[in-house]
Amino acid sequence: MIQVTQLQKTYNGITVLNIPTLTIPQGESFGLVGNNGAGKTTFFRLILDLIEATTGEVIVDDEKVMRNDNWKAKVGSFLDEGFLIDFLTPEEYFSFTGKLYHKSEGDIASFLYSIKDFFNAEILGGKKLIRDFSKGNQKKIGIAAALLGDPKILILDEPFTSLDPSSQIRLKRFLNDLQERLNMTMLISSHDLNHVTEVCKRIVILEKGKIVKDLQTGEDTLKELEAYFAV
Amino acid sequence: MVVLDLVKQEWKKGTRAQGFYKNLAVNLLLGFLALYMAALFLFLGFSLDNILESVHDTLNPAELFGGAMFYIVVAGLAFRFFMQQLNTINLPPYQVLPIKRTVLVNFLLVKPLFSIINYFHLFIVIPFAVQSVSGYYGSAVAVRFVLACVIFVWFNSLMAAFLKRKFSSGFLSFVALIVVFAVLIALEYFKIFSFFNISKICFGFIVGNPLGLLIPLAAVVAAYLLNRLFFYQNYYPERFNQKIKSDRNSTADLSFLNRFGMIGEMIAVELKLILRHKRTKSILYMSAFFLLYGLIFYTQPAYQERAGLLFFVAMFVTGLLMFMYGQWVISWDSGHFDSLMTKNIPIRTYLNANYYMLLAFNVICFVLTTPYFFFGTKIIYMHLAAFVFNSGVNIYLLLFLATYNTKRIDLTKASAMNYQGTTFKSFLIVMPIMLLPMFIVGAISTLVSMPVALWTLTILGVAGFLLRKPLITLCVNQFNKRKYKLAEGFRQSE
Repeated sequence: MIQVTQLQKTYNGITVLNIPTLTIPQGESFGLVGNNGAGKTTFFRLILDLIEATTGEVIVDDEKVMRNDNWKAKVGSFLDEGFLIDFLTPEEYFSFTGKLYHKSEGDIASFLYSIKDFFNAEILGGKKLIRDFSKGNQKKIGIAAALLGDPKILILDEPFTSLDPSSQIRLKRFLNDLQERLNMTMLISSHDLNHVTEVCKRIVILEKGKIVKDLQTGEDTLKELEAYFAV
Repeated sequence: MVVLDLVKQEWKKGTRAQGFYKNLAVNLLLGFLALYMAALFLFLGFSLDNILESVHDTLNPAELFGGAMFYIVVAGLAFRFFMQQLNTINLPPYQVLPIKRTVLVNFLLVKPLFSIINYFHLFIVIPFAVQSVSGYYGSAVAVRFVLACVIFVWFNSLMAAFLKRKFSSGFLSFVALIVVFAVLIALEYFKIFSFFNISKICFGFIVGNPLGLLIPLAAVVAAYLLNRLFFYQNYYPERFNQKIKSDRNSTADLSFLNRFGMIGEMIAVELKLILRHKRTKSILYMSAFFLLYGLIFYTQPAYQERAGLLFFVAMFVTGLLMFMYGQWVISWDSGHFDSLMTKNIPIRTYLNANYYMLLAFNVICFVLTTPYFFFGTKIIYMHLAAFVFNSGVNIYLLLFLATYNTKRIDLTKASAMNYQGTTFKSFLIVMPIMLLPMFIVGAISTLVSMPVALWTLTILGVAGFLLRKPLITLCVNQFNKRKYKLAEGFRQSE
């Protein structure tokens, strides 16, 4: 599904990301962990063609992403608030996003109904603009919009931070359900080792731009991760 | 002194802002502009006496000035109401510190009075006072005259801040203001009630009487107290730094755009962007004024033979909205650029949406400027040629060159006269687009004739229309090339 070869990103002579090869097959839930500055977001931005790779390439569904529009129909993503259009109301934003993925008003309404628990009745129905919502609620809006287009691949950067505990649990359940039901490929970065081991079947540790561990999640994974990050 | 520390920190905020030095060129240019304005003002100040001397036969220049004072103050107040930025400081970090609230409030209120802009008018007032007022009434009155002008500016600044905090400077207040002005001018014009005479008497008393200055000072104190009262009543900082409140959203129904598919959807989002941010809205208001620009030139017989200049004006008024929005056509989206780039929007669709929006702007401006047709057939041909050239040539140039504006525009920041996001490049972009056609028309009409000049540009414009597809492709390729620079630049907030 996603194929990475010889991918490097260098800023002013400093290599911030260097992944010789990485393959993420269809339906895999791929967790990315690492301390600040490890290159997690850079990696995601490279997959989404928001920064230019110094060398190498990312291939999604047998097509290079670079300067290409075709992958956009297959990938849903939310990294930060820049992925929202913050002067719209949530409804307007969902309707706009839905139209881009050729959804009818009915499709959008039924999608929003299906995730109404996640929204906890705080998001829809008001006249509030997205920019006036709290960080946590903005995150919920972004994640929902990323899923609206029925993506084959979902990319989320630290989806659990700034969510309240109930929403974290709901989101975990939700992501697991998407994997089982739709066999969706997921790339999720997180600082929370508990959450990421619960959601992801494969976990990769990045350090200073390099992959230092590539684990299949098992019973001992959490301990192994904790041991790795212990100071 | 806490206030002194606050001032220092504001200064650091300015100089340590990212891009302050990078933007040195723009700052220098603005500096030159300021010098130029100062020179103009000074020139006006020295010639004002002569000008006013010839206007009226019974009233002397100082009396005329005093009579106009009421209108100057009211117009200044209105101008400030729409243009002056509310002075805000980033409050939360200070709120938790043990600083008295009144200190913060005073800082907010008094700081604008130290802005140099507030004293620019002295370049006019002082020469006038020296030349004219002191001649008629002596130097003591002249000094009081200057002081009165300064105090009125304080009053205006404080009063405008209060009005702005109290009433939003939205569209309704704009309309209300126009109505008030129309009434004032009508009263004066039809000699029903003359504020001019009252103003003349009052101002005469203020500067003539040794204690007269106490009156405007009292007005300043009153305006200050009104502000204090406002802050007293609105204790919480969300009112303090009054921002655009969400309940004032323009909920204009743009659903008719849905019929145009994805491009229509995107245009609807762009229009919402324009209507829901102060900065973009204030450009709309300013454009309304700029539409009148033609009146200055078309009415002057002296300009009738200068084809290049007239064409420049025609191009400016018929392409006003396109020029105002066009050069930042991509930067407006900087806040949600990542969103647009990762959603299912082909780049061609994105640029087409912007193209059609600019085209629609051109049609709107062209229609709005049709009253100029009364100035004769020459103007009609000029406007037609300018419209076709703008829509067929300049539109692509803007789309192409806009990819070089890689600076983030932060739409949440203040409104008018906001140069944030302006770089030297922005000037380089519009200059050729505005000036080149002017020179072409000027040259061809001197060498051959004006119809030939206008036909040349019209043909170029029509060719641009016909070559839409390949030209947009060119813009798409350019965009793809610049995409990473744009995304990176837009991610850097100041």
